[in-house]
Amino acid sequence: MENTLNTFSKRVKSMIAVDFKRMFKSRLFYIMLGIAIIVPILVVVMTSMMDGTVTTDQYGNPVLDEFGNPVLMEGFKSAWECIGSTNESQAMGMDLTSMCNINLVYFGIAVFICLFVSEDFRSGYAKNLFTVRSKKNDYVISKIIVGFVTGALMLILFFIGSMIASAMMGLSFDLGSLTGANIFMCLLSKVLLMGVFSAIFVLISVCVKQKAWLGICLSLGGGMLLFMMIPMMTPLNAGVMNVFLCLAGGLMFSFGLGTISNLILNKISLV
Amino acid sequence: MNAVEIRNLSKNFGQKQAVNGLNLTVPVGAIYGFIGENGSGKSTTEKIICGLIKPSGGTIKLYGKDYTDIDVRSKMGVLIESPGCFSNLSVWDNMQIQAANLSINNADEEIRRILKLVRMEGAASNKYKNCSLGMKQRIGIAMALLGKPNLLVLDEPLNGLDADGMRIMREVLVDLTKDGQCTILVSSHLLGELQKVATHYGIIRHGKMIKEMTSLELDKSCRTYIALKAKDMNNTVLTLKDKYSRVEEDEAGYVRIYDNVLPEDVVNYLYQHNILITEIKTDKISLEEYYIDLMNQKEVR
Repeated sequence: MENTLNTFSKRVKSMIAVDFKRMFKSRLFYIMLGIAIIVPILVVVMTSMMDGTVTTDQYGNPVLDEFGNPVLMEGFKSAWECIGSTNESQAMGMDLTSMCNINLVYFGIAVFICLFVSEDFRSGYAKNLFTVRSKKNDYVISKIIVGFVTGALMLILFFIGSMIASAMMGLSFDLGSLTGANIFMCLLSKVLLMGVFSAIFVLISVCVKQKAWLGICLSLGGGMLLFMMIPMMTPLNAGVMNVFLCLAGGLMFSFGLGTISNLILNKISLV
Repeated sequence: MNAVEIRNLSKNFGQKQAVNGLNLTVPVGAIYGFIGENGSGKSTTEKIICGLIKPSGGTIKLYGKDYTDIDVRSKMGVLIESPGCFSNLSVWDNMQIQAANLSINNADEEIRRILKLVRMEGAASNKYKNCSLGMKQRIGIAMALLGKPNLLVLDEPLNGLDADGMRIMREVLVDLTKDGQCTILVSSHLLGELQKVATHYGIIRHGKMIKEMTSLELDKSCRTYIALKAKDMNNTVLTLKDKYSRVEEDEAGYVRIYDNVLPEDVVNYLYQHNILITEIKTDKISLEEYYIDLMNQKEVR
């Protein structure tokens, strides 16, 4: 029955084991995964059904463009558009298909991390934890990893959901000028970019402690500012450079913001 | 060596000074009763010891090492305010998580042992949120006991426990310190219960230690008194007050004489006044009464 928590690696490993155990037993985790697979199906079905219909204002009158032509709703043209776009104007657009794509997962993970971390403080578990573990960096590293893994799983499920819905709605799976490697690297970039967001949301969560609502508001606000960065960093025609940039960004943010989170936990009251 | 040694500890929350130059010494193997009124700084001190709040000043040593030392801290158990369990998880899962935090080998065996100790083995599969207040308190103590800690810090551990629960907890606490391996710092407002187990006491007021003593010293400090019952209690009280300076009636219906006087003198005196005594005994004031006395003295000063 000996406690063995002497080295950094042992401490981090045991902390990660605890957090994963919690994660897999948490209802929130499965809700988030469920959302990740249901949302793309709803989005693809909805946008496909509305494709080509005339946009109307609040009084039911058709909305006209600058040339006097009615503005038509546009759905996804290909299955791959659910996870990204190749041209910048579409990526930065404010229409339904530009907003409701795989990048929504980055908002979902903000909610997950804020609730996951705040539960530690709200339940009083943080008191038990930080009494026996004075090194706060174990905690921060573990939380960033849990956020990263959950985010990665959500991205994969969103991708699977998009493909299922696209097949259901008969969207094209034609790659065009893209290759399978592009799609893979696009997804890989998105997964690696999750490190950046996970570190940001963990930092916000440890600052607000048990105030999950404040953490979610700040995280979503912060996410909005960074949301536009995602399609540029992870286009559909992503290459090795995109993967490398996202990896570097993920590592740098995780290390930098993780250090700040650690400093904050060392300074503030933990109850 | 002392398990806990605090010197000149202070903690300010803005303008408010919660702990003010506190000195506290808990010898190894002691059950240290930490007593004080609400807001006196007990919980703040305990949270500082556990590393949950940063002190504004002073030094804290646990087993001769700085209180932030990883090895010392990994052998601590704590119950402060609430047990710190996840409401949607079962008792067993919550215990598993804390066991994993402590990297305990043979966690299942250890959890079974602890749950049996606090008579909670039948509730292991219950969800924490469905447990009663008393059960939650026992779970909190069970969590604190995981991994055979050297130092237990318990804040109001007896809250919500029924008479049987309190008896079990008393037995557990005494049993833990029997071999001198475990030291317990426990704060409670249930002074009667505390007096049954504590070997040392510290009384805190306005963030300052006003008295630290062993249970033997407390015993010596506690005033003795003569308590009696008579046929005509009103007349008895009036008659006694004529002769003795400190005569009071207690809640149990006895008249107490705190003056330094022999029981036979009291019997003779009342006999002379034709008062028939039905019961007489000598006793010592309890910890609770001692504490109230001490507080009143400090108030007067």
